[in-house]
Amino acid sequence: MNLRPLKFAALTVLISAFPLASAEPAPELSGEVNGVLKGAVDSVLAIAYDSAGAATPLSQRVRPVLEKYFNFETITRKAIGPGWQQFTPEQQACTVTLFTEVVIRNYADRFEAGDRPGISYAAEVVPDPKRPHVRDLPTSIDYAGKKYSVVYRMEKSAENWRIVDVKIEGVSMIANWRSQFNPLFLHGGAPEVIATLKQNLSNSAAK
Amino acid sequence: MKLRLSPFLISLLLVAAAPLACAQKTPASPDPAVVEEMDEYASVPISDPFERVNRAIFKFNDGLYTYALRPISKGYVAVVPKAGRDGIENFFNNLLYPVRVVNCTLQGKFSRAGLETGKFAVNTVAGLGGFIRISDDVPALASLPREDTGQTLGVWHIGQGPYLVLPLFGPGTVRDTVGMFGDRYLSPLNWDIQQNVEWYNWKVRTGVDVVNGVQRLPGTFKTLDAVRKDALDPYIAVRSSYVQYREAAVNQ
Repeated sequence: MNLRPLKFAALTVLISAFPLASAEPAPELSGEVNGVLKGAVDSVLAIAYDSAGAATPLSQRVRPVLEKYFNFETITRKAIGPGWQQFTPEQQACTVTLFTEVVIRNYADRFEAGDRPGISYAAEVVPDPKRPHVRDLPTSIDYAGKKYSVVYRMEKSAENWRIVDVKIEGVSMIANWRSQFNPLFLHGGAPEVIATLKQNLSNSAAK
Repeated sequence: MKLRLSPFLISLLLVAAAPLACAQKTPASPDPAVVEEMDEYASVPISDPFERVNRAIFKFNDGLYTYALRPISKGYVAVVPKAGRDGIENFFNNLLYPVRVVNCTLQGKFSRAGLETGKFAVNTVAGLGGFIRISDDVPALASLPREDTGQTLGVWHIGQGPYLVLPLFGPGTVRDTVGMFGDRYLSPLNWDIQQNVEWYNWKVRTGVDVVNGVQRLPGTFKTLDAVRKDALDPYIAVRSSYVQYREAAVNQ
């Protein structure tokens, strides 16, 4: 008896069933996340380009907005990586505080006096269907005659969508920090990470 | 002795190896946070066997930039108004059309090569030889990503090779350094056109090279400062940013 057609049919059924078995339900894209991001960006730009408050350092003025829209605990955890589990709760809290300061200062430094940048938003993307609580929001920033690709990664936690990474021209903020934290952690563990952050903050305060 | 594996033997090895691969114990309930961080932002291994030398050149470049090139850049910004600087930058970018179109073609991006040709034509004809970037007003031409030989080598699945810091030029990889020679060959600025254009002698050519080098300084320093300012280790920050940026460009 020729079993080849039967084998072929069985194989076809198996192959065609595979995508059904592995497919995740597509998350609903309501545009809510884009709305949150637009709100965050508008709030930051309104502060950054408000000449009335120029006497106070920008990092201080934007801090409340950034703390509202950025999830600094997650950002710090991801930037440190798996070694985070070896930090004590006190070390974790201290690192989040210090690193938040560094990130806010770094973010504020990106703004320059001059024309307000133009921002266009593209449709949000679900980078991994298995993690519907994560979205990538591509934007294009038109600034000083140049266009930059900026992708915001947002995560939903406690019913709020908050920014957990920013990729500028393909360069991830977290991946960059991770590459700097790794050697520190491997060399001297949490104490070295904390000491270096403190040193970094005091150096820039002295400048 | 030359070892040859028959397809049958290979398939046998694969079948035999499958249970071994599957047999690895999966933790009953892995911590989702750890799993997420492990796979998502695990440091991309960057081959940097010459780190000690690279760091020395990085330091040397710092001095070179601080004491020689930054003052030149500041002087250029102070003397040439913004509109003039933009025009010069647009002109030199427009001249690099052969680099972009050849590399688009070598990567099989034929429609983008067509768009590059359109952009070059629009800017050259309507933009006064490329000084005005008229193409910005044409949505299809407004944001074409740059293409170069290093990217083409990446698209051809040639690995980036060890990270290199070159004196004056700064960060790079072996792949991009090879690509840089390809770009130089494709750039009209390096073509021997003196046979046809008599006045384009070595003095004029050197002058053009100097202007081209100087006009790139403000943008280069702006990028460099953004990356290394507030960095815990500026060398690693620049290295990570460079490698990520180039990989994103290859995947674009």
